[in-house]
Amino acid sequence: MSETTATAAPSFLAHHFESLEKQTHAARLGMWLFLATEILLFTALFTAYAVYRYLFTPDFQAASRDLATWIGLVNTLVLVTSSFTVAMGYGRAVRGDGKGTRALFLVSVLLALVFLGFKVVEYSHHFHAGELPGRLYVSTRLQGPGAPIFYALYFLITGLHAVHVVVGMTILAVIGLRAGRGAYTREYHVPVELAGLYWHLVDLIWIFVFPLVYLI
Amino acid sequence: MAGPGAVAPVEHAHASHVARYAIVWIALLALTFATWGLSRFHIPGGWGVAVALGIATAKSALVALFFMHLWDQRGANRLVLVTSLVFVALLVGLTLSDSATRFPLSNPPGSEGALPVGPTDYGGPPPVPPRDRGLTP
Repeated sequence: MSETTATAAPSFLAHHFESLEKQTHAARLGMWLFLATEILLFTALFTAYAVYRYLFTPDFQAASRDLATWIGLVNTLVLVTSSFTVAMGYGRAVRGDGKGTRALFLVSVLLALVFLGFKVVEYSHHFHAGELPGRLYVSTRLQGPGAPIFYALYFLITGLHAVHVVVGMTILAVIGLRAGRGAYTREYHVPVELAGLYWHLVDLIWIFVFPLVYLI
Repeated sequence: MAGPGAVAPVEHAHASHVARYAIVWIALLALTFATWGLSRFHIPGGWGVAVALGIATAKSALVALFFMHLWDQRGANRLVLVTSLVFVALLVGLTLSDSATRFPLSNPPGSEGALPVGPTDYGGPPPVPPRDRGLTP
């Protein structure tokens, strides 16, 4: 057995775990349980969207067509690509290449900033056009009773997702910088994996937001 | 001892993982363009929704299986995700079927399936506000 394995493993291993492998499995399972609660959090909003789209179908279709579809498309491509760079960054961590992980995670953070930039363009357009939730809705473009409800759900869903993007890019930046300083090894890189899992979930949620809000 | 023996499969798996990540990425880009392109055709009869959600499900399966490594990591993690999806189906399915089978009067005014709230509802372009409840003289 090499000397690095002998010295590194005990320091990463918490005293209540038998082995590093069991510790990794427990960490993954805990992360997946957290991600399950995140899925259910967004499902509550998607359910509200489904019910009101069912009740106000023509209004929701008109409001959805009114959105800038190309922004939704570009943002989907940007997020999917950022997920790819995160997966590649994890691949570097598995090899023990912390600098590679840092570079790829920082690319992902930059892509997340591009995503948020497009969101700012979109939101400022809605603010100026008066397309706001509920009784704040003053736009004259769409007159149906469903339009204010659509924009309430639009801002809730995309807003909560944007909060997750901000949290996710913060996690990626912190873990990426730590990886660049050599905080993780070939044997122990579970924080890189968990940060990646969170980011992939943010991507996964958007994969459903894009067709629901922009396309149907 | 598992030391050197355990490293070799990881190294071997890594080379194929890079190719796999790239293939999944290209597939995700292609499916994104596909769902966007299909949405421009206005598929009739609610099938557009089914197509869009079907493609979204395929994309998320690719992300969960390959980017999130559920394909390689068997066991409890898969069970957690599947359980959460069961509850997603329960929440969306039961709530929607409640709305779909309601007595029309209990639906909000202006919505599909609600009873007409006024005479202008039969063709006038101005939207119908909730009826005045008779509080003003």
